[in-house]
Amino acid sequence: MATRHLIIGGGTAGMNAMRTIREEEREPSEITLVTAERPYSRMVLPYYLDRTIAESHVFTATAAQLAKWNVKTHIGRRATGLDVKLNVCTLDDGTRIEYDDCLIATGSSAVRAPVPGADGPGVHSFWTLDEARGVIAGIQRGTHVVMVGAGFISFTILNSILSLGAKLTIVELAPRILPRMVDDVGAELVESWLKAHGVAVRTNVKLARIEDAKGKKRLKFSAGPEILCDAVIMATGIKTNLEWLKGAGINIRQGIVVDERLRSNVPNVYAAGDVAEGRDLISGAAAVHAIEPTAQEHGRIVGANMAGKPVAYKGSLIINIVEVCHLDAASFGAWDDGKAEAVSSLKKDRNAYRKLLFTGDRLTGAIIIGRSNDIWTTNDVGMLKGLVQTGVSLGQFKDYLKMNPFDVKTAFIASKTTSTLLPETVLGRPSKAPGDSPVAV
Amino acid sequence: MRVLKITPERCTGCLRCEIACSYMQTGTYQPAKSVIRVSPFEGHTSYAPYTCTQCAEGWCMTACPVGAITINSAGAKDVLDDTCVGCKLCTIACPYGTVFYDTGTRKAFKCNLCGGDPACAHACPTAAIEYEEVATADWLGDFARERAGHVLATAGAR
Repeated sequence: MATRHLIIGGGTAGMNAMRTIREEEREPSEITLVTAERPYSRMVLPYYLDRTIAESHVFTATAAQLAKWNVKTHIGRRATGLDVKLNVCTLDDGTRIEYDDCLIATGSSAVRAPVPGADGPGVHSFWTLDEARGVIAGIQRGTHVVMVGAGFISFTILNSILSLGAKLTIVELAPRILPRMVDDVGAELVESWLKAHGVAVRTNVKLARIEDAKGKKRLKFSAGPEILCDAVIMATGIKTNLEWLKGAGINIRQGIVVDERLRSNVPNVYAAGDVAEGRDLISGAAAVHAIEPTAQEHGRIVGANMAGKPVAYKGSLIINIVEVCHLDAASFGAWDDGKAEAVSSLKKDRNAYRKLLFTGDRLTGAIIIGRSNDIWTTNDVGMLKGLVQTGVSLGQFKDYLKMNPFDVKTAFIASKTTSTLLPETVLGRPSKAPGDSPVAV
Repeated sequence: MRVLKITPERCTGCLRCEIACSYMQTGTYQPAKSVIRVSPFEGHTSYAPYTCTQCAEGWCMTACPVGAITINSAGAKDVLDDTCVGCKLCTIACPYGTVFYDTGTRKAFKCNLCGGDPACAHACPTAAIEYEEVATADWLGDFARERAGHVLATAGAR
């Protein structure tokens, strides 16, 4: 009998897993997909918000594509329970699906600040496609938008909101913006850049309640003046979608604890993406990395293993980039490691900042901020990732980098980072182009 | 597959490759938009061009959330402008630092081997850049290590 693969979640991890199964399998297998939403890419929703792309552009798999992969779909359905002894998954409509192996890739959901009025009209999250539609309907030219939370999510849609002609105010509980992406100096640079570009930023403020005020929203804080606005976007964090798995016998800490092949404590149950607590490439410790590249790599590793090709995962690297008003801010790896040897340099006249973190003679973390058209920045973002990803021994070029943090290229090339990178692949073979979509065997 | 074979010892730093590349890729003579970039070594007494290796993993291609990077007929990873939304994920996923972002078009751009007829190799007057059927390699590593190391030593760096 053909192996029955069950994929729960149609996001990046699930899509990559299905595609890799079809790329790797030697014998025909059955794939069933359970997904609450029609598969789309969350990464591109900001471009849908600013009307750069049409809604049709966000979808990652058409019905035709899924048919080509011979995937049986349960779209619009959620998994409600998993019986790991009987190998059966139950859906919210009562459907029972038997599987031989299964991938849990149910992702995460937006969380709103727990204040009165947080669920009222005109208060949005921006995470799912449905939520994006809500925000689109709520913003016109001149709309005053208050974004609650100054983290990565709010920064990904900041440009879009401004380009729609809205007036933007950002309020943040922490003393500074981007607390999980850049350090204090970097945050200060980005914050002053934003203010210079007409964005109001208030840090260190605790939202107390949101009230309706004659068609507008009134935000009250535990201290300081209130804000009257037209729309509120809550970008106050995400949580993993794992409640449905409680009591199923799957070992869950921050996420589902997985081994180097992304298997949970139940060997035929895999986890990938935001719900998986896998290996951090730099520290080797278990961590949840709720970012797109991790979901993609996790998904491919799971797909290969499900298809019978044992592939171990080296671990995921935290990488993030946001552009706000033509200023790029990116960070890599253990950029906030207090034990690392750090060197930083700020060039205020160029709005450029670097922080490099070393462990021994390896680069283990980096922050880079600079204007999007500044060749200093654009030349170096990828190379910093390469240095952190490979962990090449820098030797004498460590001191060179410490003296010249704005000249990464010399150290990158002279440390022969390219030699280390060339044989590296995630699946132990060259990747296939997305256009070469494999068909079901 | 044919690749850009770089012989750094032959490079004179004339930047013709950058000019040719930017013209072919963007229609403008603008080295800042070239996807092959010449770097100075040994205190600006020697130079070498650096560009995409068309690596096996294709980190840019696998990272793209919308499948906007594909493999063209020359075997090069190539950005499909109509599909790219400009999210920049490929620019930080590429560990070689050879995927760029055009602030004018708001798209990513990279070496696509000019579809199999690379302008940089044509433009290079000293054959420092050749388009050949060889395995790609770390063309610059030893060259840069020797020359940059030499500068460090004379500068008294540890």
